[in-house]
Amino acid sequence: MWKTVLRRVLIMIPEIIILSILVFLLAKAMPGDPFTGSIGPHTSAAQIHHLKEAAGLYNPWYEQYWNWVVHLFHGNLGTSFQYQEPVTRIIGNRAINTLWLAVFAMVLTYAIGIPMGLYAGRNQNKIGDTIIRVYTFVTMSIPFFVILVLGLWIFGYVLGWFPTTGSVSATANSGMATTLSRLQHIVLPGLLAALFGTVNIVQYLRSEVIDAKGSDYVRTARSKGVPTGDVFRHHILRNSLLPIAAFAGYSITGLLGGSLYTEMVFSYPGMGLLFLNSISYRDYTVITALVLLYGILNLFGTLLSDIILSAVDPRVRIQ
Amino acid sequence: MSLIEVKDLEVHYPIRSGFWNRVTDEVLAVDGISLNIEAGETYGLVGESGSGKSTTGKSIVGLEKPTKGQIIYKGKDITKPSNRRELDYNQDVQMIFQDSLSSLNPRKRIEDIIAEPIRNFEHLDKNQEKLRVLQLLDIVGLDADALYKYPHQFSGGQRQRIGVARAVATNPKLIVADEPVSALDLSVQAQVLNFMKRIQRDFGISYLFISHDLGVVRHMCDNIAIMHRGRLVEIGTRDDIYNHPMHIYTKRLLSAIPETSVEGRAEARAHREAVEQEFQENQSRYYDKDGKVLPLVDVSATHKVALPEDEIEEEDK
Amino acid sequence: MSQNQLNRQSSISEEDLARLSKEAEQEATPSSLRIVWNEFKADRPALFALVIMVIFILFVMIASLFINQGQAMATNIMDSYDKPFTQFFLGTDQGGRSIAKQLILGSRNSIGIAIGLTIISSTFGICYGLIAGYFGGIVDNVMMRIYDFMLMLPITLFIIVLVTIIPNYNVVTLTLILSSFYWMGTSRLIRARTLSESKKDYVAASKTSGTSTFKIIFREIMPNISSLIIVDTMLSFAENIGVETGLSYLGFGLPTNTPSLGTMIANANDPSSITEYWWTWLLAAVEIIILTLSISYIGQVIRRATDASQRLGDD
Repeated sequence: MWKTVLRRVLIMIPEIIILSILVFLLAKAMPGDPFTGSIGPHTSAAQIHHLKEAAGLYNPWYEQYWNWVVHLFHGNLGTSFQYQEPVTRIIGNRAINTLWLAVFAMVLTYAIGIPMGLYAGRNQNKIGDTIIRVYTFVTMSIPFFVILVLGLWIFGYVLGWFPTTGSVSATANSGMATTLSRLQHIVLPGLLAALFGTVNIVQYLRSEVIDAKGSDYVRTARSKGVPTGDVFRHHILRNSLLPIAAFAGYSITGLLGGSLYTEMVFSYPGMGLLFLNSISYRDYTVITALVLLYGILNLFGTLLSDIILSAVDPRVRIQ
Repeated sequence: MSLIEVKDLEVHYPIRSGFWNRVTDEVLAVDGISLNIEAGETYGLVGESGSGKSTTGKSIVGLEKPTKGQIIYKGKDITKPSNRRELDYNQDVQMIFQDSLSSLNPRKRIEDIIAEPIRNFEHLDKNQEKLRVLQLLDIVGLDADALYKYPHQFSGGQRQRIGVARAVATNPKLIVADEPVSALDLSVQAQVLNFMKRIQRDFGISYLFISHDLGVVRHMCDNIAIMHRGRLVEIGTRDDIYNHPMHIYTKRLLSAIPETSVEGRAEARAHREAVEQEFQENQSRYYDKDGKVLPLVDVSATHKVALPEDEIEEEDK
Repeated sequence: MSQNQLNRQSSISEEDLARLSKEAEQEATPSSLRIVWNEFKADRPALFALVIMVIFILFVMIASLFINQGQAMATNIMDSYDKPFTQFFLGTDQGGRSIAKQLILGSRNSIGIAIGLTIISSTFGICYGLIAGYFGGIVDNVMMRIYDFMLMLPITLFIIVLVTIIPNYNVVTLTLILSSFYWMGTSRLIRARTLSESKKDYVAASKTSGTSTFKIIFREIMPNISSLIIVDTMLSFAENIGVETGLSYLGFGLPTNTPSLGTMIANANDPSSITEYWWTWLLAAVEIIILTLSISYIGQVIRRATDASQRLGDD
């Protein structure tokens, strides 16, 4: 088990290196340079040349890459020219918002997905199961951003149940009110993201339960006189829960990928919206840092899932 | 000169394990065997499952890459792919598979299945090719309406006939038959075996007949090799093996042939138990300390057995 | 085998050839296309979805030929936010541009890109999966490492950055950029099936019949996973409509003067448009929903048709 984890972590090292090289090359390919914001219109060409030379921009790319990596390890991601602040501080504020939303959406995903999947499996081909299957089919087929826009329109504007923009209301000033306001703002985007994320869990659990119902160990338990409810709780659920837990890592990557859309639709000030804004302002230091951060978070998400899976399923471990 | 000579063939599979996934051990599927197949004969290769007999067969048709050793055909070592291409080797050496369903592409019609080797090795026009396929179907006893059907529409015995038709399509010199009838019903087995024999007579084909069933092998084969744990334990003519078995493993296999008559049942059982006891007692003498089969020793002109040294001395006296 | 020798063994001669082939043709088995068609006939909603999709795509492709994109996208402040069924059939947006014309042009562009993206990425994914699955061993290992790595990239962010830095950005480069990031799902499916398919004896039989590796992969194995390929391509197509429109919605898909369903939905970003001028975005959203639902439903029906145990269309 620990060997598998260690090996999995070791495999990650080259992946992180390749990722960082790719991100660095992308950053190099972006037009402009770190001085774009600070150079005035009256700076002469010679001065610019001098500045660039001092910053090492004429060195070979691998030297520049090495410098960049060294800076990374010192926590120095550069300065945003749009905000004139260190990139780490800007991202830090936004990352908390994105994290809030992601955790909330994840909790909802499991809270909705597990009962739905179990119910559908237990009542296979009955009306409830059919409704759940239509629901998974619809959410799976329609693009995520369309669901978000429609949700915002119906629940935010037409019905007016939820706030439509931002992460916290400006009028909330006490600690308690702020927390409540925050929660209010993430309910709708979190719920919509969760509806989208449940599909995998529901489908997996449903087929798992249906398979288990016909399996020998469940039939044995039943023939011994164990009540149906107990069979479900102690045998089927226990066998399916850990693989379901392994989805957590993958759903982190899914939620991160979706955060661009969620935050755009709800004007929610997280990392996704920051990225989109930085792109329109050509704020390259922020863009580079965000791409790298998203990549590393994805890496850890899949790492988490792989580790849980290898703990659950010995077949994965051998490979 | 023999049709085909197998010299010290070895097929080893690496086992990877441990932290770095390095090769830590090897499975010795085939561990140094030599045999010669003559033109027109049926050579039986017999052993339990996992003894390496199928791997040997696959190496001979070129499906498996040997780790060591040579297979000589027309003076060339055909373990090298370049030599196989040069000789159009598979035009002369074909294979019949155990699982007739899996060996026929379910998406292809019978015509295309049987014509596949013809298209690759001979270049006939459309009508000649179709006539050839129809004739092949006729030879294996199938009607012309099979032409445009798919494999799943036939019974197991019929499918195996189609497999045979494909194997003989290019008029090969040798056909490796890997347990060709063990998936079939007993009544169908006899049918398939009989027309395999007829085709051999008519076309002068050699078979390498791989089987675990000594009863079937007796019906088919002139020369027989017994294989165990990747090596040969005994080679001989049908008479040598069935009437004068010398290795304890051969004796054990022979005693396992089912006795069909009711009266002889108790007797056969007593015999089987006696042989089994002999095997258990003498196992350490007939295999070396790693459990490997000993080297083969000539007993007569046709008969070779992997005997321990003390037995050899006894023979010499 | 010499012809004479065969003639001696077989009672069939050249004269019988025509008669026997004709008899055999009458006994031939129905094709799998027929089975799929039967399945559609047995499932009314599926037939409905198929008809909607075909008519819709045909209508959009033909109608767009009669619309001048430059004219349709020219702003005319006088007609800003006209309601539907007044001067314009489906109203206008802020710039006074006809929603109906934008819908037609946008659908053509979005569907066109989705088709291009599906063809390129599926072809690549299928080849990738077939090669990795057939050869196995070290080839498979290396290819799967690349696959794992691609899977971990923050794809949407990468695409957006690429879109902003690429020098000559147009529909073709956009499709190519998208294709290079959306082949992984297909390749995983195809690899898994190829892996199990390559172990079957018919592949070994083809090898001993002297068939080349290329032919074995594409003519022997590929037809056996064709149902998987068709179903997966259908589902990818539905998904790919979301890929381009989503990106255009964020503002990084098609250029602004080229209409796209995604750009139209982006009208909803304006808090006053989303309620007051609903026709500027809602129609495009409804269209995407109907289109993606029909396409994935068709995919599901084909999947059912190819799985004999679930078929409705058997007599």
